[in-house]
Amino acid sequence: MAREIGWERNVDPVGIWEHRGKVALVGRGHSTTDRRWDGVSMDKTLGAYAMVAAQAAMEDAGISPDEVDGVITSAGGQPGHRSFGEQWAPRPYFDPPYDTEDGLTFVTAEWLSRQLGLRNVKYLNSHGETFWNLMGLAFQAVGDGRCEVCLVPYPNGNLEGRYHQAEGLSAPGAAQWSSPWGWGLSGQGFVFDQYCRKYGSNHDRMAPFVVQERKNGLLWPHSYYALHEPEPFTEEDYVNGRWIAKGLSIFDCDRPVQAAACYVVTTAERARDMRQKPVYVLDHTEGMFQPRSLVQTLEESEEWSDILAKRAYAGSGLRPGDIDLFSPYDGFAINAQYFLEAFGWRGVKRGEAHDFYAGDISLHGPNPLNSGGGNMGTGRMRTAFVTDPMEQLQGRAGDRQVKVDANVAVTIGVLPGNACTLVFSTSPD
Amino acid sequence: MKILLSFDIDGTLELGDPPGGVTVEMVRRAHEQGFIIGSCSDRPLSSQRAMWERIDMVPAFVASKHQLGDVKMKVSADAYYHMGDRDTDFQAAEENDFGFWWAHEAVAEPWLALQEDE
Repeated sequence: MAREIGWERNVDPVGIWEHRGKVALVGRGHSTTDRRWDGVSMDKTLGAYAMVAAQAAMEDAGISPDEVDGVITSAGGQPGHRSFGEQWAPRPYFDPPYDTEDGLTFVTAEWLSRQLGLRNVKYLNSHGETFWNLMGLAFQAVGDGRCEVCLVPYPNGNLEGRYHQAEGLSAPGAAQWSSPWGWGLSGQGFVFDQYCRKYGSNHDRMAPFVVQERKNGLLWPHSYYALHEPEPFTEEDYVNGRWIAKGLSIFDCDRPVQAAACYVVTTAERARDMRQKPVYVLDHTEGMFQPRSLVQTLEESEEWSDILAKRAYAGSGLRPGDIDLFSPYDGFAINAQYFLEAFGWRGVKRGEAHDFYAGDISLHGPNPLNSGGGNMGTGRMRTAFVTDPMEQLQGRAGDRQVKVDANVAVTIGVLPGNACTLVFSTSPD
Repeated sequence: MKILLSFDIDGTLELGDPPGGVTVEMVRRAHEQGFIIGSCSDRPLSSQRAMWERIDMVPAFVASKHQLGDVKMKVSADAYYHMGDRDTDFQAAEENDFGFWWAHEAVAEPWLALQEDE
């Protein structure tokens, strides 16, 4: 299926979403989580894990495969619809009959639909981009009536070796100034350093946030750390992390993992008959920005996240005080404060995030930031950012269940320059 | 002669992720023969300590990879060696005047020859 364009809600003023409260999340399923795929085990491919997750999601929602009429996926879990395998060093495709990596290092909607024997599918889309945008696309598609009971798998994988290390043959445009010496990660540290200089903070003050996230993630049975590295992560650990680039420590970077999750998205009307309590979608909004110069600056990160926050409030009709749970992306942990401050959650203003982290952000306290643990607490699954709010609003988060009254949850990711905000509620109104 | 051996974990020790070729038995043998042993890895310090506890050994040090120089200041020895599988291991060793073995070289236990040379 060709990529659909123009579905994003990214032109101001966005206005209240036309499908506000008419679309719902009703099921979720997860595979196990591995550190990486060995390239051999066919029961541990992204395809295999996506199937496990999809079957679990359907069971969770209490639906049969015959009820599914749509599948929307982000084939490789990466921007630009790429297979994650493309980011590793060049390697040959597998011997026949595997003349494609579909089902191995990426999972198209077509592949998954065939494997699951979904007989009544009328809408397939494999162009979901990164996780939040994928969910936004699915919510819009269901709201628009393209399908009524939709599976939304998100596979995200990891191979042996190092990624982003493949040699490029060109560095066009502005990349000629940055690619030769690897600005990508340095840029994260650069902007964070600007933040610390502007607001009089320092990197060590991130420690309480990252440590709390790991605590939360250890309470999630699917998280990489709960499964493979259950030792507590301490502030001593964090402040002793090696710089990847000054301002960005190794413990600010999420750990790539091999895992898949899947969600069942449907109309509010159909949701009433399904097994789980519906979580209603109040809004999705998107934004993509370009730096004015060669590299992104703090000024731009703040400007863009401000636009994203205003857009989300305009689209959902909510105000900061309405948000009970807030889950900003933390794949680089040092980005989370831009979103937190832009949304003004719990009254946090520009430059105050690190003071906020030093307060009570514990799971059972008054400000349970990233109650699912985010990527720092679960590995680079990204799906904690939807599964946790969903389970919290449904009251089935188990040991992670927050003590605050949780009726509205907001999550945003990935980075300020390219993000999508999702707003969930226990009520369609 | 006191010789310090610093082990990277992931990609170097068999307990690493991915596993390397240096076995716990090799590490234990080095310890028993009087080498000063410890780990210097990108793993969190608490994770490194947990690894040593699991194999019932007490390391002389655990450190992050960029702290190899601190190991030299804190632990007295006549010679210092680090082994690992990444260029960051090599760089850390070179910057801090440690001898260095790549992980694939370390599986031959080259440190044993150092004692024989004494």
